[in-house]
Amino acid sequence: MLIPSRRKLTLGAAALALALSFGPALADKTLLNVSYDPTREFYKEFNEAFAADWKAKKGEVVTINQSHGGSGKQARAVIDGLDADVVTLALAGDIDQIANKTDKLPKDWASKLPHNSAPYTSTIVFLVRKGNPKGIKDWGDLAKEGVAVITPNPKTSGGARWNYLAAWAWAEKAFGGDETKVKQYIADLYRNVPVLDTGARGSTTTFAQRGIGDVFISWENEAFLVQKEFGADNFDIIVPSLSIKAEPPVAVVEGVAKAKGNEEVAKAYLEFLYSPAGQKLAAKHFFRPVDEAAADPADLARFPKLELVSIDTDFGGWAAAQKKHFADGGVFDEIYRPTN
Amino acid sequence: MSVAVTVKNLTKSFGRYPALGGVSLQVEAGELVALLGPSGSGKTTLLRAVAGLEQIDGGQVFFGDIDANQLTLRERRIGFVFQHYALFRHMPVMDNIAFGLRARPRKTRPSAQAIRDKVSELLSLVQLDGLEARYPSQLSGGQRQRVALARALAIEPRVLLLDEPFGALDAKVRKDLRKWLRDLHQRTGHTTLFVTHDQDEAFELADRIAILNLGKIEQIGTAAEIVRSPKTSFVEDFVQDIDLKRAPPARDKPAARLSLI
Amino acid sequence: MSDAVLPAIERPRAQPMGESGLVKGLLIGTALLFLTAFLFLPLITVFLEGFRKGADVFFDSFSDPDTMAAVKLTLLVAAIAVPFNALVGIAASWAIAKFNFAGKNLLLTLIDLPFSISPVISGLVYVLLFSAHGWLGPWLIANDIEIIFAVPGIVLATVFVTFPFVARELIPLMQSQGTSEEEAALTLGASGFHTFLRVTLPNIKWALLYGVLLCNARAMGEFGAVSVVSGHIRGLTNTMPLHIEILYNEYNFVAAFAVATLLAGLALLTLVAKSFLEWRYAGELAASHRH
Repeated sequence: MLIPSRRKLTLGAAALALALSFGPALADKTLLNVSYDPTREFYKEFNEAFAADWKAKKGEVVTINQSHGGSGKQARAVIDGLDADVVTLALAGDIDQIANKTDKLPKDWASKLPHNSAPYTSTIVFLVRKGNPKGIKDWGDLAKEGVAVITPNPKTSGGARWNYLAAWAWAEKAFGGDETKVKQYIADLYRNVPVLDTGARGSTTTFAQRGIGDVFISWENEAFLVQKEFGADNFDIIVPSLSIKAEPPVAVVEGVAKAKGNEEVAKAYLEFLYSPAGQKLAAKHFFRPVDEAAADPADLARFPKLELVSIDTDFGGWAAAQKKHFADGGVFDEIYRPTN
Repeated sequence: MSVAVTVKNLTKSFGRYPALGGVSLQVEAGELVALLGPSGSGKTTLLRAVAGLEQIDGGQVFFGDIDANQLTLRERRIGFVFQHYALFRHMPVMDNIAFGLRARPRKTRPSAQAIRDKVSELLSLVQLDGLEARYPSQLSGGQRQRVALARALAIEPRVLLLDEPFGALDAKVRKDLRKWLRDLHQRTGHTTLFVTHDQDEAFELADRIAILNLGKIEQIGTAAEIVRSPKTSFVEDFVQDIDLKRAPPARDKPAARLSLI
Repeated sequence: MSDAVLPAIERPRAQPMGESGLVKGLLIGTALLFLTAFLFLPLITVFLEGFRKGADVFFDSFSDPDTMAAVKLTLLVAAIAVPFNALVGIAASWAIAKFNFAGKNLLLTLIDLPFSISPVISGLVYVLLFSAHGWLGPWLIANDIEIIFAVPGIVLATVFVTFPFVARELIPLMQSQGTSEEEAALTLGASGFHTFLRVTLPNIKWALLYGVLLCNARAMGEFGAVSVVSGHIRGLTNTMPLHIEILYNEYNFVAAFAVATLLAGLALLTLVAKSFLEWRYAGELAASHRH
């Protein structure tokens, strides 16, 4: 009889310990960074670097918690009350949403940090199977018959909007601004998409892990990552003649950070992204640093030079692009008819 | 031990459907009375109301001179036997019969030995000696009903209430048990009310019979009285096939009987 | 569902329709093939993937603090949700099976609600209620109470999604058993509590156990509703199913399948426990049902 009762005691103690271990962490400061999908690997390393730097400068232990997901979905969660101290999302439009729907962010958040609050940029490239069996060279090839294109849904994915706009920019140039032809081209391209995932990571898995599709329109950093994870001898990166300069922005969610007493550390965290150490790490994880001098030249050499259009000068900013292309009843709704 | 049961102007309705419309009934101590009627006549409701299993809308029930409305179910001390036995299926016969005694508050609970003795005594009364360890599922229908009766008798009830006690048994077993119950009643002398829809059963067993229809008692009397002078056309109709020869012979007042418990 | 607890010995041994051997073989073969293809193979795949890079890598996956936190959180959530649902499930089943009252059918429908609506909606309901712009959000913020995107929200969503398991097992059984055993106990002088403990509970214990096991399996495995209210903060609000998705999306397939193996293992353990209990108490079980 002694043994079972002792076991009961141990179980009880274990349950108690379990319950207690969910108490508040003992770190001096805890930051929550709500980010989008392809930044997981980068922020994992960056957070360690920042924590070490902060400890050295202030003697304070800071723990950074990460939440990743589709950029639009993450913005929604912050609006609904996810206690993010900082947001590091795929596009300015998503942070605008938070500023519009809550009073946690000032409307002019983009002016708080250099380069429109985008400490690194990226662009859109193509990932194809080894040897490029379909002979994909530029955007025009994606609309050809018999080419299966993988890209996420621009209604839900930030990355997918960049993909769409890059294709649009190329077509506008190629067809001399004839919008009917441009629309026809975009319609043909999306007719070639067999699986429209909701987020960038989902599309990556579809293409790389499940082996569906001939070409994957991808974030540049995601394309490099696939080569690294799945082997460079399985995939080739194709750089189109023209692409778009994607600027994933960052911002302190001031309302939350202030309430948690994290204003100073949150600001320092984002500023550290612009520091030589932060820029170097960004380049290492395949994001194009805004300060190239800080990056490892070997890392920089991986980024091909190509003509880049900008959302602000070529599309009149995110708000205008969103309204014209992606809002309900916009151009995307007009041209995209799921086939199957 | 046994007491008289007096029912005064009992009313009860289920929603808008009146089940009992002012029923009055006097049962003498030690008497065996049958409540006879077609289904829906209110006989089971009357029995359950006397037991306290049914909330009544109006009227009174007395055990001797105690107003039963003042008593909790436990204080009523009713021996109730259900049509489908309602034995505790996960307990052996021993525990079934001992249940009422073991459920008593510690102060009045008999010792374990006393309970065992009582159970054997009751088992031999219902002629099931040696079946203490059996589960209800290992018994025949007739045996189960006798266990149920023993279980009801264990708490030394004021009144025994039987709800179609043989309703679920086949014809042969019914007849045997009828005779057996008659003998048992003879020996123990409990005031007994039992519900049946079987005229033969009522006329063969009961000292008196109450014939119910539509929530009212149409007539109450001995078998001979009812057959010879039915008071209403319903009663006349209901008892026309009864063979009076099978009715029990008139008996002495029940008070003289040996009391077992 | 309650007939799943009926013991096999109750079934008639003789062939009721006298099918030919061919038909019988064909039926059994089809069933086995289906089970192998749709249940057994995927399960094996999970285990194989988990061990693809060897046992060392497999076990290393659990040394990650975020993974351990996910395992702990899952156990904590189940440890709260399952007993709660067992108690409330018994109470609701008791009320529905043993009493007649106005609104009983409505209550029955409500109990089924978590089964009939998508878990995503179950999660969104809590977002609507507790989020910063939800009905109770401003009050919660004013009083500094965290529900959504924190452990309480995950527990609530899990409780909601797994509520019907116990009640759904018990209601049909208690209804078929009727109230006469309880009435017998009451007329024999037992108190209400004594009646519940000695009569009702023993009669429902197998169905209750079955319901609790199913409830537990779902509580640990729930993805949809929890995903909506979790906030996906690594090491804090990720349960095992959510963590598996994250690991998978990080190309960490071995770790993803290692955690999946643990989750599947817990589910298998649940089923083994159930089978063992059924086998161990087969006699008693038969006795309580053959009545």
